[in-house]
Amino acid sequence: MLKKLLLASTALVFGAALAFPAFAQAVPIRIVSKDLLTTNPDDVAHVERIEAALRAKGTDLDIQIVDLPSSGYADALGVMLLSGDIPDLIYFQGGDQKMAEQGILEDLNPWIEKSPNLKAALWPHNVERLAHYPYLLYVYPPRAPQAVIRTDWLEKTGLAAPTTVDEYVKLFEAIRDMDLDGNGHADTLGVTGYLNTNELDSIFNQAFGVTGSWMKNEAGEWVSARTTPQEKAKLEFYAKLGAEGLFDKEFVTNTFDVKEDKFYSGRAGVIFASSPEVIDIYGGKMRQAHPGEELSLTLLPIPSGPGGQGLAAVDVSKESRGYAMASTSEHKDEVMKLLDFMASPEGQELDRLGFADREYTKSGDTYTFTDAISTWYARFFAAANWTAPAGLRSAAADESLANVSKWFKPDNAFVWPADYAADLDATENVYRSWVARFISGEATIDQFDQYVAEWNAAGGQRLTDYARTVLQ
Amino acid sequence: MAQIDFGGRTKIRSGNVPGKSRHFAAALRQWWPYYLLLMPGLVFFIIFHYVPIYGARMAFEQVRIIPPNIWVGLKQFQTLFASPVFYQVLTNTLIISGMKILFVFPVPIIVALLLNEIRSGPLRQWIQSAIYLPHFLSWVVIAGVFIALLSPTDGAVNQITGAFGFRPVSFMTDTGSIRWVLVISEIWRSAGWDSLLYLAAIFAIDTSLYDAAEMDGAGRWQKIRDITIPGIVPTIATLFILNMGLFLSADLNQVINMQNDVNRSTIDIIDTYVYRIGLKTGEYSLATAAGLFKAVVGMAMIMVAHFVSKRLTGKGVW
Repeated sequence: MLKKLLLASTALVFGAALAFPAFAQAVPIRIVSKDLLTTNPDDVAHVERIEAALRAKGTDLDIQIVDLPSSGYADALGVMLLSGDIPDLIYFQGGDQKMAEQGILEDLNPWIEKSPNLKAALWPHNVERLAHYPYLLYVYPPRAPQAVIRTDWLEKTGLAAPTTVDEYVKLFEAIRDMDLDGNGHADTLGVTGYLNTNELDSIFNQAFGVTGSWMKNEAGEWVSARTTPQEKAKLEFYAKLGAEGLFDKEFVTNTFDVKEDKFYSGRAGVIFASSPEVIDIYGGKMRQAHPGEELSLTLLPIPSGPGGQGLAAVDVSKESRGYAMASTSEHKDEVMKLLDFMASPEGQELDRLGFADREYTKSGDTYTFTDAISTWYARFFAAANWTAPAGLRSAAADESLANVSKWFKPDNAFVWPADYAADLDATENVYRSWVARFISGEATIDQFDQYVAEWNAAGGQRLTDYARTVLQ
Repeated sequence: MAQIDFGGRTKIRSGNVPGKSRHFAAALRQWWPYYLLLMPGLVFFIIFHYVPIYGARMAFEQVRIIPPNIWVGLKQFQTLFASPVFYQVLTNTLIISGMKILFVFPVPIIVALLLNEIRSGPLRQWIQSAIYLPHFLSWVVIAGVFIALLSPTDGAVNQITGAFGFRPVSFMTDTGSIRWVLVISEIWRSAGWDSLLYLAAIFAIDTSLYDAAEMDGAGRWQKIRDITIPGIVPTIATLFILNMGLFLSADLNQVINMQNDVNRSTIDIIDTYVYRIGLKTGEYSLATAAGLFKAVVGMAMIMVAHFVSKRLTGKGVW
């Protein structure tokens, strides 16, 4: 009896030992990302199903979300990292360069080479940015603001969608003069914006010949595009829009919310959307603001002008935001498995479409999307090689994505050494201030040379001298 | 007077003021509930005000996330003082802080004096509650309110001035107006709340002084001038001196929410500059150097204000 018991016990111990690897602890991966919070049930459920999908493929991860407030995320992240708390996967929204300089961010290029899904998912600008700065990964199409208008308003103007700068002016004038919002006054702004003119620049830079951050002057020397005759012509155009009530002179004090509200409430006819998803968000909110009306948005074409046509050149010096892997991570292989999975068709379906029977229903190969899809957003990537199911995006959103590919042009901006931080800050302030004053009418375009002199004195000359050593 | 036995020794004390020679341990035994009440405040100050002083060494180091930091001496200060923008932001800070001391600091005193003159208790309480309220609003909200109020197209202020034939003014982008917007919004937010201290000081004035003055035929203004104001001078002096210590802190939250591309050169202050250059780009050492510079200037301002106040009013902070 005792012998049997001993044998049974020994067999149990050996069995448990053999079975142990199957019950091995999942590899912990700590992720800090903006808008990925344990307090959001969607985020938690999303992470759990990612873990399950990876587990089914033999990768057992325990993905741990590190909570940081969305408001002031970049500052809070900096302080957290400075305190020595460095998660495995870190989403940056600025402040990454200093961390890279200190060697806490991993060079991603060798890892991407070994990650087939991720490599195939990159957009052309991702490839260029990674070549210049291999620490950040942001697999999304370039943020290229494009103009949208209510389809019914465009029809009411009787004008075709504008294809030239002059036709844009005509459309803005029609919006201003036709009282499309029906408030009894010809006071609707043609176009509005917020904080600065970046959105306008997105479609008008190339039209006026502002082809990149640095351009060659008549003597063949590199100069900042912001000091060129092409920039002057563009700013003169903006000033004209401001003077004639076609562009919102209050853009500098507009927040993003105010800009949107002006569009939904009919105080402005055209606004810019920075991505296809934003176009659909605008469309959804516009319908919410006007219940009972079948409203849709039309994407306006990229205009041609005296200097050419296209979207503003895309800065490929580095990603301005994105995921980085800590060089201190003890689980780099696992982190890359996670990223590679998220770039795969299966990961994209999870990340882009939301939850079945909530954001969408599926019948065979056909997806039907619900209203909830308008508030769902990808937590990781929007892979370049992933084909969205029909119905996920509106026609305007699809068109804007096609434009991004069609008009992609890499910029010649480059990464500045830290020593130039004060000069960059000062010249940026000078430029922004003068642009706002030109548009508000406080300064006239005749003062452009005065602006250029001030820009040079604020550090622009030093920047130009350095740029000439970098650019060939 | 009470007699208390401390370990066999009999001491005589006056009121609740402990004798100087009393041993601290004995005092602790006697007054431990009060020391216990003091403890959270002390712990707070030690953790959040004294321990961080050790971190000021970052101003002299190149901070590395993976230690050790590299000692760089005064390099961060040289970088700070070498930038022409720094002198612009220093000038802006001095102007804005000066305006606030001149125009904001007296307002709570006036508010407290006015509140004290309201005889109806419920009315006074209602007014007090109404003027305290803005203190609890964040600068994000207040900036939104002011931007809407001051809008040149549909803002209430321009509509009112427009009714009198004035042309609309874009106050938020007008470099001549924006500093006044800071001053007025600061008054709107803090005057009610800050008047609390002065009101408390006024209530502490011996009422027999007012009775005596009334018997002598003094009017309201005479009582304010000769009793109330002299009665709160120590409070005014103390708060003035403490405010001087914050002279180079022109309120980051307020300015950052009111700032835009047009007015930045006019209201860019040390704090916003440090936020942009120091924190946003991860230059923590530079940010610490600027903070230390502010602290040293603040301490010097406190010392100067203290000795001047001592000389003029006989009152200081110690």
